[in-house]
Amino acid sequence: MAARLSPDTENGMPRATFWALLAPALILLLLSLYPFLTGLYTSLTNQKLYVPATSFIGLGNFVRLFQTPLFWTALGNTLTYSILAIALQLPLGLAFALLLDMPGKVQSFFRSVLVLPLLIPPVVAGLMWKTMMQPQSGVLNWLLGAVGIDPLPWLANPATAMISVVIIDTWLFAPLAAIILLAGLQSISVELVEAARVDGASAWQIVRRIKLPLLGPYVLLVALFRVSDSLKALEIIYATTRGGPLNATRTLHVMAYEEAYRWSNLGRAMAIVFILWLLCYTISGTLLALWQRQEATRHAR
Amino acid sequence: MRQKPGGSLFPKGHPMSSIFLSSHLASPAPPAESHDRRSAGFAPPGRPGRARLTWASRLAAAAIAVTAGFSVAEAAADPNWRAAEGSSLNLLLISHPFVDSLKPLLPEFTEKTGIKVTFEELAEQPGFEKLLADLSSKTGSFDVFMTSPLNNWQYGSAGWLEPLDDYIADPKLTEATYDLGDFIPGVLASGRWTLEPLKGVGEGKLWALPINFESYQLAYRPSILKKLGIEVPKTYADLLAVADKLKTTGPNGPINGIITRFDHYWDLPYLTFGTMLQSYGVDMLDADGKLQICSDKSIQATEDFIKLIKTASPADAGAFTWDQAMQGFASGQYVISFNEANLFAPVYEDPKQSSISDDVGYAPTPLGPDGKRAAAAWIWSLSMNSASKNKTAAWLFLQWVTSKEIAVKTALAGNMNPVRQSTWNDPKVTALMESWGEVPGQYVAAAKTEAEVAALRFPPHPELTRMLDRWAEAIQQSYFGQGDVKTNLCAAQEDIQAMIAP
Repeated sequence: MAARLSPDTENGMPRATFWALLAPALILLLLSLYPFLTGLYTSLTNQKLYVPATSFIGLGNFVRLFQTPLFWTALGNTLTYSILAIALQLPLGLAFALLLDMPGKVQSFFRSVLVLPLLIPPVVAGLMWKTMMQPQSGVLNWLLGAVGIDPLPWLANPATAMISVVIIDTWLFAPLAAIILLAGLQSISVELVEAARVDGASAWQIVRRIKLPLLGPYVLLVALFRVSDSLKALEIIYATTRGGPLNATRTLHVMAYEEAYRWSNLGRAMAIVFILWLLCYTISGTLLALWQRQEATRHAR
Repeated sequence: MRQKPGGSLFPKGHPMSSIFLSSHLASPAPPAESHDRRSAGFAPPGRPGRARLTWASRLAAAAIAVTAGFSVAEAAADPNWRAAEGSSLNLLLISHPFVDSLKPLLPEFTEKTGIKVTFEELAEQPGFEKLLADLSSKTGSFDVFMTSPLNNWQYGSAGWLEPLDDYIADPKLTEATYDLGDFIPGVLASGRWTLEPLKGVGEGKLWALPINFESYQLAYRPSILKKLGIEVPKTYADLLAVADKLKTTGPNGPINGIITRFDHYWDLPYLTFGTMLQSYGVDMLDADGKLQICSDKSIQATEDFIKLIKTASPADAGAFTWDQAMQGFASGQYVISFNEANLFAPVYEDPKQSSISDDVGYAPTPLGPDGKRAAAAWIWSLSMNSASKNKTAAWLFLQWVTSKEIAVKTALAGNMNPVRQSTWNDPKVTALMESWGEVPGQYVAAAKTEAEVAALRFPPHPELTRMLDRWAEAIQQSYFGQGDVKTNLCAAQEDIQAMIAP
């Protein structure tokens, strides 16, 4: 008490101000750290909502998971989903961005139209696409038929379900990639491009030698957003296939969701979520480190 | 209606004893070994607690034992409907025609009791999510909620359900005319459980009151069958024999043979394909508690089912959900809707939702290889939250909504199938259902036939759906050509055994 009454200072400002300024950060830290630690603890217990007694079982949930073949299937599916999503969305986003970067009325129209899918909730998009992908009555197979291609089973077959779900994800999120990359393209100074053109560089050379290298940090930024989001994807999958057919689209998140909400098995669900977190954290951390290094070299120039 | 303890619901010769649900379902179901259900169904009613009655299909008998016990209370004076005046109730409702039929009636309840009712209506998945969160935190924000036996096996184990027996027995709270014995016994008994894993359904306390139930049936297109010269199949063998002939071309393109749900979830072995399995004589657990998932009969049923789907269903049949099955048939793209829910009939019959309303017929599900028919049942119920702060009000609501009067009103507004015998006998309800089908009374006849053999033949367990999901996965693996039926079913059985006894 005595310390607080004296006009003590911290970092050159009154202590009260110091704490007041720090408070939001502390509260945020507490608000994210507390649930995280509780979750981590839960993953080490056998907590089931419908069983009153809960006991600490150490790594029991993790050991059990590693022995379940379905876990490895789900892990594989999670990574496949993420890799496919990035592999489709980065090039598509880049193509959109390059097209939209050209000045013109059409471009400015499409620049605003492009964001529309981002405003649609993923569940709604999933249901919408599910209707379009119906093998019997869906519009996609009708369109394929019109150009003489055999109908596809889309979401109804284990062989095509994963790519179908990723297509929906791409429809929703490629615009996000495009917007970020477009911002990157527009940050490239006009003089640089003009100078190259004066020097006789072709349009392709300008893209290849100037725009793409300068876009590096933005590409990483897109990857950073999309990797962590796609690893955690749940809404689209649950609205379309709920993890099926068979287990073709059962990702870790779907598995955790079902453990928690269908069987009240919080211990096991938290173990899966923790592994998912570890995966996100490692990959995002790596990408972030890459991004920071690129930024550093850029500013050093 | 009063009954003597231990007596039958409807004595022989009573006018109601000729009505299917009352006389047949009220009698104890035959022992599991008997394949001659039909004759056994007419056995003298009463005598509950027969030595061979076990948990599975013996719900009916157990119900009689308990309903008889309550009849004493029914003799008392009028209850006080305003016992909880001024309080308010919050319900969790899952989107269903029942909810649509209930909403306009709620002001009547408020007027009668002075209890304010609010509700949240959600789709199944988010609804049960929210319910789980509320029940497990014991905040009691939902006093009464829609549920099913499958859900209650989890909620009951956790102690989240309020037993209803004492409320029903309390003459100050329950009308003498409430008449628990009027419920279809098997359906009512599905709400009873001793809380023991894998046994005790139909016994112990009453945790829920039923509001509607569905069973399964064939729906078909009379005009197409006539054109193809095919009779409505009476057995699974009949159906398999004509499976490859069930196709034609309609005004909007090709018409496929059969449609039924076929996804990788519990409802496949529990409800639709479950009805076929049970008609082949397969129960998940036999009388000795042994799993029957990879028994010879189960393998036979599964092989026949896959053959049927591969022959008569389109290539994408491996992902049909119940709503796709309903819409697919209603849109006229299929000749036969195979073992699907009979309460899709109101949709098929409604010209606004269906393009086949003038060309649809109904028949009971086919007979198994031994001439036996058994059917699954899905039962929507209402339960009271044990953490509710307004239990008296909650009971008054439960009593009101499941009363004879309201049951008729909701049935007329689309809440099918009725769970009270008095509703089935109501002239207006009868008139509504009578018109359904190729010929008058066809739907009712098929529904009655199924109701006679409909039962919950599964062991109660909080994670039964996890086991049934695994079973469904084995069936799907076989359909998608990943291993043969026997290997897949036996692998599933092994996994499920491990879930039962970890």
